[in-house]
Amino acid sequence: MSATKRRTANSDQARPKRNTRKGQTESFTDLFRLHQRIANASAKRLAQTPASSLITLFVVAVALLLPALLFGLNNNLASLLSSFQDSAQVTVYLQDDVSEIAGQGVSDNLLTRSDIENAYYVSASQALNEFSAASGLEDLLLEMTANPLPGAIVLTPANVSPAAVDDLAAQLRELPEVDVVQVDSLWLQRLAAISNLAGVIGSVLTVIVILGLFFIVGNTIKLAIENRKAEIRVIKLVGGSDMYAARPFLYTGLLYGLGGGILATILQAFVLITFNSNLEVLMQLYDSDFRLRGFGFMSALLIVIVGALIGWSAALMASLRHIRAINP
Amino acid sequence: MIKFDSVSKRYADGQEALSDISFELSRGEFAFITGHSGAGKSTLLKLILAMEAPSSGQLIANGVNLKRISASQIAQHRRQIGTVFQDHQLLHDRSVYDNVALPLEICGYQPNDAARRVRAALDKVGLLKKEKSFPEALSGGEQQRVGIARAVVNRPSIILADEPTGNLDPELSAEVMKVFQQFQSVGVCLLVASHDAALIERLNCRTLVLEGGKLLADQKPRPVL
Repeated sequence: MSATKRRTANSDQARPKRNTRKGQTESFTDLFRLHQRIANASAKRLAQTPASSLITLFVVAVALLLPALLFGLNNNLASLLSSFQDSAQVTVYLQDDVSEIAGQGVSDNLLTRSDIENAYYVSASQALNEFSAASGLEDLLLEMTANPLPGAIVLTPANVSPAAVDDLAAQLRELPEVDVVQVDSLWLQRLAAISNLAGVIGSVLTVIVILGLFFIVGNTIKLAIENRKAEIRVIKLVGGSDMYAARPFLYTGLLYGLGGGILATILQAFVLITFNSNLEVLMQLYDSDFRLRGFGFMSALLIVIVGALIGWSAALMASLRHIRAINP
Repeated sequence: MIKFDSVSKRYADGQEALSDISFELSRGEFAFITGHSGAGKSTLLKLILAMEAPSSGQLIANGVNLKRISASQIAQHRRQIGTVFQDHQLLHDRSVYDNVALPLEICGYQPNDAARRVRAALDKVGLLKKEKSFPEALSGGEQQRVGIARAVVNRPSIILADEPTGNLDPELSAEVMKVFQQFQSVGVCLLVASHDAALIERLNCRTLVLEGGKLLADQKPRPVL
């Protein structure tokens, strides 16, 4: 026995009882110890039936994994999308008769607009040089007498939302020097729509999964209560409230949720590793270094917390309902 | 402490377990209920424990009107009552110590304080050495005594007992009754269902005689010469 423990025991005897009723729980430490004991007992009980406990844990984990993966993949897609959007460019092709000086002037004018982040002028000759260097057709191009390429202004919109970009493009088309405005926003819109849809599916799936988890955990708790009916009857006979009788089951539910959440994050990491090794091959073909990023510590924590909350509240609902029905 | 005022109990199938029972037990009173099996002894105890609700009449125990008790009040009410059940009602996956400690745990006693009380209660019924055993390893009489220790550990204001000496030899019965009388002397109200005529005769307590659900007689103790 530790020295402190002995000291408190002694002081207990020396000092008259404080104004608590019949030496009932005085501090949070005692309450904490009581809960710790109940939690330990619940964990031991789970360990006594390892097979069925593991199956339940696994079911909870898989149920949590599905929406987590969908949300995670969608987050990746969204970040991929925003990286494209950051570099979203509008190319403004000028009329053939606009001189280099005039073109530069138009470009400088555009820069003063608040809805344009950046703009730079590419003259017809610059464009030809870049094209010949990139295409490897220098010899052929040298033989041409006139430059077929127009001058252009490449600009980055300040607001990259598809609507704003379309709006900007429409205004640019009105300018007299402008021939064609090219916006590659359609595929961006499609990708954004897909990402949105994935988000909606994720939300619906989450609701379904939460409902499913309530049934899974609730049913498991119901069976556990059924198995310990005699014990609950005795507890009620000697004055235990429904909540008192429910406590061990709340811990059981909490442990299922917590364990399932942790297992789900582990499974998620495995899925991610498997995906990335395959994705690498695909992305090399596209000359991209895109990788699925880990969903992060915070999202792992979120899965565990959500799992624990669902487990606990499902257990609360199930145990109060079934314990109330037990009449001694 | 306990007041029955024309209490009747009819079950859903129309069977009348108790009819028009009236009596009153005050603080520090020790009474037996006796009668043949099926006379309504257990039903009467169940009414006091709020395991059943009276069909008509007034029933007040510990200042609580048991006809209008809410579910949450029932638990609180039972904590004030120590009950010895005929079938013991012990938890078989807990040790003797933990069984006796259960009412204290429910009330939130500190472990140190609870340990003292549990050992005192076990000592009273002579089972201090068996605190680590499990109920299944005990004889019927020992299990009964664990139930008695559990009933008194919380220092209740009412003790109900349903055939508490049914499995005990005369010597142990006398011991148990001595424990009950100790509680009586500190103001606890005791109501003991029994058909052990010799025991009732010897203890010379107030005796309620039930027959067919009716209170046949309310015998006061004989005056001591």
